[in-house]
Amino acid sequence: MEHTQKPSVGVTAIEYVLGSEAVSLEELETRELLDTQANKLREFGFQCVRMSREPSYELGLQAARKLLQSCAVDPETVDAVFYVGATPDSQALLTADPRSAFNYPVAQLQYELELTRAFTMGVSQLGCAGLMTAVSLARSFLLSSECASRVLCVSADVLPAENKREMIYNVISDGACAVLVEKGGARNRIMGYRQITKGYYWDLTTKKNEIAAAYFPTARAIMQDILRESGIEWPSVGLILPHNVSLRSWEILLGLVGAPAEKLFSANIGRFAHVIAADNWINLRDAMESGKVRPHDKLLLFTFGFGANWACMLLEH
Amino acid sequence: MNETILLTGATGTVGRSLVPILAERDDVEKVYLLLRKPADTPDFDRPGSNRMMPASGDISAGGQLGLDAPWSEEIAEHVTVIIHGAADTGFSAPLAELRAVNVEGTKNILTFAAHCPRLRAIACLSTVHVAGKRTGLIEEEFMEHSAGFVNGYEQSKYEAELLLREKMKDLPISVLRLSTVLGDSGTGQVAKLAAIHQGLRLYYHSLAPMIPGSPSSPVDLIASDYAAAAIAHLAIAQFSAGRVFHLCGGRDVLSLDELLRLTHDAFTRYRPSWRKRSIAMPTIVALPTFELFARSVQAVGDNLLRHSVDVIACFAPQLAYPKSFEDGACMRALASLATKKPRILDFYPKIVQWLVESGWADRNVATTVEAVAS
Repeated sequence: MEHTQKPSVGVTAIEYVLGSEAVSLEELETRELLDTQANKLREFGFQCVRMSREPSYELGLQAARKLLQSCAVDPETVDAVFYVGATPDSQALLTADPRSAFNYPVAQLQYELELTRAFTMGVSQLGCAGLMTAVSLARSFLLSSECASRVLCVSADVLPAENKREMIYNVISDGACAVLVEKGGARNRIMGYRQITKGYYWDLTTKKNEIAAAYFPTARAIMQDILRESGIEWPSVGLILPHNVSLRSWEILLGLVGAPAEKLFSANIGRFAHVIAADNWINLRDAMESGKVRPHDKLLLFTFGFGANWACMLLEH
Repeated sequence: MNETILLTGATGTVGRSLVPILAERDDVEKVYLLLRKPADTPDFDRPGSNRMMPASGDISAGGQLGLDAPWSEEIAEHVTVIIHGAADTGFSAPLAELRAVNVEGTKNILTFAAHCPRLRAIACLSTVHVAGKRTGLIEEEFMEHSAGFVNGYEQSKYEAELLLREKMKDLPISVLRLSTVLGDSGTGQVAKLAAIHQGLRLYYHSLAPMIPGSPSSPVDLIASDYAAAAIAHLAIAQFSAGRVFHLCGGRDVLSLDELLRLTHDAFTRYRPSWRKRSIAMPTIVALPTFELFARSVQAVGDNLLRHSVDVIACFAPQLAYPKSFEDGACMRALASLATKKPRILDFYPKIVQWLVESGWADRNVATTVEAVAS
């Protein structure tokens, strides 16, 4: 019997754009955009957030364009675009006309960037887990389609100006991230992915405490599961690329899983805060840029999105 | 011999089971129930209920126990056995408050006892957790240690034991140290919700993310009906002055991991709809990680989460100091007791079943959690 090995699929390029205005926690407190005192959030590892006056679509477009240019990717070679959004303005380019609910940002992005061969799809209702899910879907699509080789995943989120900047003790930034997923891409090969959805926690407005409590045991379980399935133990993990929730909650989670603090790439938590779905990929890019990732390092990406969704991906650099 | 008994703590977890047992014993003539509120007299409808004499008093109200003079004189004149079970079990209460009841109350009992001419036995209920942060095998004898305590309750009971030990040369005292009393081994009924029941409820409601300890940490639990029968036996038929007994699971204990799995299975079995919540079992973590989590929640958490963590923090850190309890002397003394010790694997699921079916889970979690934590 002929044995065919699946081709590798990897994350070959990442670019991101953040809101242009850096706002300190103290300024957010003055503007009444926090629930918790600024000094306490600072103790938890946050310093400032990035806020955008531009809509999310514009940030997404900039990030995607930046990626295509920096990698010299021919737009004609992109087979699919998966567009991720968690905030209301990322779902449609709304105007006063109710029909604008069908004005999809992914379609406009495909047009603006001349991705004429690419089919498009929105990935939503996953909160901050959306981009990781999209990357996983991209991998599945590439493995199931013989002629497809490239998927562009884009996430873009901007909170409404009047919105609080804090959610369950974490502060939120505006930003966008573009991730190129390629078949045959040896760089950042996707070794495994796991996602757990627990619909019991669907109502953020009434289950805030339960969500905060449930976060830890399931986070631990999913991280351990993906390592076990991949036959990898913690000492073999080169770097943990976090979602940028508080450094304090990462300290607790590391204690739960028994991983040393130096494995965590935490440089962006203070200065960028939590950029919705983009954190893990922003961190991967910056970790690579700063020389913290060595060839063949195993990289563990973990995120959590409302819904509730726990998602974890293992890459080999 | 017909005993006249003074019982304190009749409305407590064990006391409620102890009252009917005393009422039915052939060797008991009368039981004075020292109650802060006589209206709290436990309800029971069994033979012997006419032997129960509720008396208004308070162990923290001085050497006369807050009794009116005629009562005080009558009880002092006739009492042959004192079973002292009253205690403040508020694990997170300030130490001064706990001492006022648990240490000063015990001192008052002993003062009262010194004026009881027919008294032959004082059985004082204590806790195996006077061992505090000690680990390993805990012996069945008086102890002094400097390991520290997980909560003020443990410390106050330890201090009460030091007092009992000091007075032992003058009075016929024995100490019965109980482990965590869960509920009735036959019906599963829980007379009074304690911290462990609230902890289980937090798990049920997805408010218990982690527990300090290790998966193999022993959890020593005992059934209230058996505990009550054993107390009556050790206080009356098998009283032995100067002794300490461990009334506990002994070798029949669950590990923390087993306890959580049994709880999960029981929730699923007795409330099938609970399964769809997909609530993860609390993670068993090292104490520093739990403490970091607790401090973080204290710093920024909502009231409900803070109080939930308070409930767990007031007792569960004990699991980070793994220990088992010697109970050989107790078991030898109880060899003639007709009631045999129920196995934890047999009665634990019944307790959870009773809790789930009694509507324990459906009461307002915020109100109950705050009440326990305060």
